[in-house]
Amino acid sequence: MAWRQVRRSGLTMPVVTRRFIDHAWRRGCDFINLDLEDSVPPHLKAHARSLIKGAIPVVRKGGAEAFTRINHDYVHADLEAIVWPGLSKVNYPKAESADEIRLLDAVITRLERERGIRPGTIEIGANIETAKGVAAAYEIASASSRVREFGGGSGYDMSRDLGVEMFVGFEQFAYGKGELELVARALGLQVRAAPFVANTTGSVSDADRAFREAQAARKCGFRLGGGLNPAVVEPQNRGFTPTAEDVEDARWVLERYRELTRTPDTWKVIDGRVIDGYEAARARDTLEWATLCAERDREKAAAVLRTRTAMAEPMSPASGVMRGDA
Amino acid sequence: MSARIRRSWLVVPISKPEEIARAARSAADVIVLDLVEFVAEEDKPGARGRVEAAIRTAQAGGAEVFAQVDRELFVADLHACAWPGLTGVIVSQLESAQQVADVDGLLADLEAKRGILPGTLEIVAGLETARGNQAAYDIGRASARIWGLTLGRADLIMDLRPEPSGEIHLMPYLMQRLIAVARALGAMAIGAWWRAPARGLLAGPDDTYQAARRGRAIGFTGSPCIDVLQVEPLNRGFTPDAAEVAAAQELMTAYRAAVARGVAVVEQGDSLVDRGSVTQARALLDRAAAYAARDREKAEMGARPPLARP
Repeated sequence: MAWRQVRRSGLTMPVVTRRFIDHAWRRGCDFINLDLEDSVPPHLKAHARSLIKGAIPVVRKGGAEAFTRINHDYVHADLEAIVWPGLSKVNYPKAESADEIRLLDAVITRLERERGIRPGTIEIGANIETAKGVAAAYEIASASSRVREFGGGSGYDMSRDLGVEMFVGFEQFAYGKGELELVARALGLQVRAAPFVANTTGSVSDADRAFREAQAARKCGFRLGGGLNPAVVEPQNRGFTPTAEDVEDARWVLERYRELTRTPDTWKVIDGRVIDGYEAARARDTLEWATLCAERDREKAAAVLRTRTAMAEPMSPASGVMRGDA
Repeated sequence: MSARIRRSWLVVPISKPEEIARAARSAADVIVLDLVEFVAEEDKPGARGRVEAAIRTAQAGGAEVFAQVDRELFVADLHACAWPGLTGVIVSQLESAQQVADVDGLLADLEAKRGILPGTLEIVAGLETARGNQAAYDIGRASARIWGLTLGRADLIMDLRPEPSGEIHLMPYLMQRLIAVARALGAMAIGAWWRAPARGLLAGPDDTYQAARRGRAIGFTGSPCIDVLQVEPLNRGFTPDAAEVAAAQELMTAYRAAVARGVAVVEQGDSLVDRGSVTQARALLDRAAAYAARDREKAEMGARPPLARP
């Protein structure tokens, strides 16, 4: 797989809230999403834009990638203010047409060249949050090679646009989520999806739930997380990372598969489990993902160590970022 | 054409003659001679040479015979499979209308060369990839030979895994999409509603029956299977049971009596019987009669219950 990014956990935070930004690097996130959109009041939009360039290096001090969520209606002003070295991705909310994505691509392409950023570095996150977005999903997702992950189809905006309720305890977005996932898969993009886990509370800080959801998503083959509250970061990192038992099991499957390939059969059942080419592919996928997670955890730990050393601050187990290094 | 009774599609590797002979005694409505999934790559050339004989073996119990062919190897596979006696082909992993047109064209050539009535050989489109499902409607319209659509092994090929609920991720969406597209095309949707962990290769008779009943409830008319012991549960699961037939007959009787009295609506218990429910009841009775006739036909052809598993 060409995709090497590890994005198990991330926090979306208003760039105008200084204490969130200053402490973001301590959270153990794989990415930080600096928000200019819904968490920033209209009268602070201009001020918020002016903060992004300075915030990018600050939130990356713990090894996280830096993203920015812009406003659907202020594309030009927002992009001029945010496309700087160190930014990995522009999240574009309420994407509804391929033209919008092509416009973003053109502006980002120019800014990358003007500002000395390697061409093609900055991704576009085409967030589908309306019925129109679902209807145009294929055109939107194929409008730019900067769109590298795709999916979604639920959330507050979608719920308001469709007139469906949140937290009802069943899968109320089945059609839209299915459409978007099929598009992502048909185009070979990284799929942003998750198995359905009933949530009737709407809590954003429930660590146990975050872990269960992340674990269920990983077992389903998904890798992308993110949230709003620091309490869910560590559970997401843990839930999306294969356990030692998973790794051992994957090795066992591959060994059994190697034995199978020396026979004329294409599958067999061992201990009530099917061993075949598909199971072998999943096992290889698990091993590759486990390696990527471990590399990512080492990167983050090294970044935290550098930062603390520079600040002459002692290591603290509370940060949680050392976990993957054990 | 869609009146054909095809509840159970038993898939057997062409490379395993003893399994084909066993399949012929299994009471399967359709036997699928597989050249794709269950034949090791190096055995395929040899297996292709055995298809013509395998068709005759498979037909012995009254089953129709399809061949499952590899879309990437369709020229070699269709040359190997298109013989008199074959009903059609399942083409795995179709992704575009052009691929269907290519298969259609070669089938027409082979029909002409091999003394098969033009247009006889049917196509079941295997939509097992995201692209294939995305293009389902165009694929289905690309040939008059298309009899049905199936997701085949999409769960494995697309790597769709079980959710905590037991549903296979994305499959509820893909199944409903497939069925809607199939019916829009006037084609059949082939499959069953499997749930983890008892599915596919590992599903026992009872889980297979439940998968067939759920599948029938959402519009499938028959399903592939891999084990002879899954044939009977599929036949039974896709066939209206005695209680359903009795209820339908009762409904028809009440409706006829009402019509004789000069009204086309009648209360039966706490439900209302009108032309809509009568149409459905009549379809169910027709289907039950057709299934019973098909089962008699197979019995006469000498089908025996499957041998016990060793």
